[in-house]
Amino acid sequence: MTFRQARWDEPPIWELSASAPTGRAPSISGVPDRWTRKEALRWPELSELEVLRHYTRLSQMNFGIETVTYPLGSCTMKYNPRVSEVIARRKTATELHPEQPVETVQGALEIIWRLERMLSRITGMPEISLQPAAGAHGEYSALLMIRAYFRDKGELGQRTEVLLPDTAHGTNPASATMAGFTTRELPSKSGCVDVDALRAAVSDTTACFMLTNPNTAGLFESDILEIAETVHRAGGMLYYDGANLNAILGITHPGKMGFDVAHLNLHKTFATPHGGGGPGAGVLAANATLAPYLPIPRVVKSGRKFRLDYDRPKSIGKVRSGPGNFGLDLRAFVFALIHGEEGLTHVARRAVLNSNYVAARLGKRLPRPFRPLVKHEFLLSGEPLLSRGVRTLDLAKRLLDEGVHAPTVYFPTIVPEALMVELPETESRRALDEYVAAFERALDDTDEHLRAAPTATSVSRIDEVECARHPLLSWKDLRADGLPPGGASDGRKP
Amino acid sequence: MVRWIPDSQRDEEEMLRAIGLTTSDELYSDVPRKARIGRLGIGTAQEEGEAVRAVDKILDRNRPFSRFANFLGGRFATRYFPAAVDSILQRSEFYTSYTPYQAEASQGMLQALFEFQSLWVELTGLDVANASLYDGATASGEALLLARRVHEGRRFLVPASLPWEERSVLSNYATGPGLTVVEIPFEERTGLIDLGRIAEEVRTGDVFGVLADVPNGFGHLDDHLFELRSTVGDLPLIVRADPLALTVLEPPAHYGADIVVGEGQSFGIPPSYGGPGVGLFACRKDFVRLSPGRIVGATHDKDGRRAYALTLQTREQHIRRSRATSNICTNESLIALAFVVYASVVGPRGLAELQRGLAERARTIASALAGLDGLRSPRFEAPYLSDFTIELTRGTASEFLERLRKRGVLGGVPLRDPRPGAPDQPERILVSATETVDDKAIAKLVSAASSALASTGGSK
Repeated sequence: MTFRQARWDEPPIWELSASAPTGRAPSISGVPDRWTRKEALRWPELSELEVLRHYTRLSQMNFGIETVTYPLGSCTMKYNPRVSEVIARRKTATELHPEQPVETVQGALEIIWRLERMLSRITGMPEISLQPAAGAHGEYSALLMIRAYFRDKGELGQRTEVLLPDTAHGTNPASATMAGFTTRELPSKSGCVDVDALRAAVSDTTACFMLTNPNTAGLFESDILEIAETVHRAGGMLYYDGANLNAILGITHPGKMGFDVAHLNLHKTFATPHGGGGPGAGVLAANATLAPYLPIPRVVKSGRKFRLDYDRPKSIGKVRSGPGNFGLDLRAFVFALIHGEEGLTHVARRAVLNSNYVAARLGKRLPRPFRPLVKHEFLLSGEPLLSRGVRTLDLAKRLLDEGVHAPTVYFPTIVPEALMVELPETESRRALDEYVAAFERALDDTDEHLRAAPTATSVSRIDEVECARHPLLSWKDLRADGLPPGGASDGRKP
Repeated sequence: MVRWIPDSQRDEEEMLRAIGLTTSDELYSDVPRKARIGRLGIGTAQEEGEAVRAVDKILDRNRPFSRFANFLGGRFATRYFPAAVDSILQRSEFYTSYTPYQAEASQGMLQALFEFQSLWVELTGLDVANASLYDGATASGEALLLARRVHEGRRFLVPASLPWEERSVLSNYATGPGLTVVEIPFEERTGLIDLGRIAEEVRTGDVFGVLADVPNGFGHLDDHLFELRSTVGDLPLIVRADPLALTVLEPPAHYGADIVVGEGQSFGIPPSYGGPGVGLFACRKDFVRLSPGRIVGATHDKDGRRAYALTLQTREQHIRRSRATSNICTNESLIALAFVVYASVVGPRGLAELQRGLAERARTIASALAGLDGLRSPRFEAPYLSDFTIELTRGTASEFLERLRKRGVLGGVPLRDPRPGAPDQPERILVSATETVDDKAIAKLVSAASSALASTGGSK
């Protein structure tokens, strides 16, 4: 074991300088005195180099895709192409204000229009909106569209319930609640939707069934056509959570499977960077019935010119400022252009192959619930470790010491001590073999080492329960808490 | 073959054999035939260089604002940002990482987010900030929902001067729980919020929250904010504030704000046609367990070393599901990083001086335009910082701005609701000062505006 993460004991930025402004902020002519800050902003005065050194050191205490294998299930941590980063930084892309006259942003509108056409083909849905900022935001927007649709039909009073499988991403039920629906989670059968249970659950109170396919157990819902028929016969809408689209590019799509509306995560399938938790981009795709409800403005092409169309009387309006995360749309456009038809299909096949290859090998060491053929990700159960006094959490932390990121853990909740592993298409066979070896070394380590892990990261195990019990959430709290300056030297035990 | 997908066909065949399959089609034996598709029809693969040329050709049809005498601003800043900021964003350890669930391997991003939270706390004077929301408008929407959690009622008050798209976003957040967004009119002369109307609304007993903005939708500072707390009693008071303005203005907590939201794009990244930006959110300590979004806490590792972790997660969707305080998962961490790096590079004195300088420049622009026949500059009699509103007394704002554009001037943001059927609106434009506005640019604006107005006959 040779991996060591940087360990800088880097203090918080305000401890790097004793110099901070004092007294009042400068006054401004015409601005009454009552408005002026009586105490200048409390923040350190540092040189540019000091600031750069601080954040460069912090970056060295952070796992990223260009440093380690990052098999985080449901997150599709694939390589984020450098060329997309270069293109997204062109002045012709960044120096555009959303309120510029359309004559001056014809290129941006063309990118949006062409990406929408591409995504329409990839999803099999006629209309696309790039407005939502992330996947959950797309879900929420789609549910607002469904709400508006049933209101127009005079059925909103009755269609109050959103159904979902118990394996659904947490964002699904949370989005449904925010959109004013009640939710009911249906128990899965062998990791998939139990169609009989769904038949029994749907009724004229059903607004929508939310599903991701392949699902969070990594399984393709083979009964998808029956599921669609069941929901539609009850008059409900079928919602596609596109978090797992990577597995089925060019094989099937939400349109063909019978979905009415979908969201996609450009920051998963289309390789835009996750940014440490955003920015994302949550594309909306709608069938002909729901398309009139998409957010405005819509980009339309008239002749050779592009313009923004606000004349959509049924639209839900705006879900955020500006037309969307254009910087991310552009990166995704470059990704799709370079891959083309064959490339995208290869993406899916290789991601599924990677996942099955590693699943077969790790399945010899830990139980795999459900059927063996998986799609982009697979589940393992850490349950047998419990008899050693070791939990899935310990295994996850021990994997960090191998210089690989941990899988998603304890999700979905239908599998005890779950580990959810996703190995996107950009991981080489060699990387996969090394990952399996690292995983095996972790499993074969002593119980004591597993419980003590991690030890090779920039800090050792953090007690997150203690952190929540006694929350210190800003510099202000640290001052009030009377903690001595941070770093290894402060010696305070939790 | 795209080189981002590694290995040869032979490797893939060996991997298939290792799992007992012979062709990659067998990987999809669980997809029913009737659900399969034919070709996508999206075109063939392009070499990287070929794709770059093709995309650049499209992008070249854009005219970046830096090629104009540019007065665009408002909710999206067109200012200059030091190169050092983007150099940090280009560290792949930051930009390629995921949400820092594995705290021990993600201390860098966690510490940066903790610093970001601390900065928004210092700017607003409140107790707690989260690790970001999508943008300023959605942060206002989440604030509306939080207000409803802490106070009964069905009506939420906002100034009628709030930009139309923010009112639209708020209406969407209000829809689910069956709430109503009520627009409070402004005083004709000053553009300031009508306190009497707010008092009337509050007396109905059905109001659960009030939002005001600094500067307001017209770019002005609303003196009535100092009276708002006493007018609304114990109702949650939300202030949407511009971060640069807060480097020189009293923190909103000092005049009674319970929640302060904002858009942080103006700290460090160019507008990129509207996104990504970053939603800023801070609130009182006693609201925190009902508040939305990721929050980073400071703690220690088991060896006593200072460490950071996501905390209070039982509020969140991945734990609480349908009972979560918000559905938000992916937020805007990287832009939050840009925010704190920008503020640290420019420094507190630099930021305040920048705001002061822009305000001086805005006054020069306003006076230069004030001499023209056919517009009122500024339209409202109220203090302002970098942005102010003008109103045309003849012609339309869209024709006026189009004439300016043809003379190399981006004159500002038209303050109108573009939806058909929107009520008749005065021809108002929000004009903004940036560092790139020099005397030459102002002269160009005045000359273009003067000739545009001269060629517009008759009064409206």
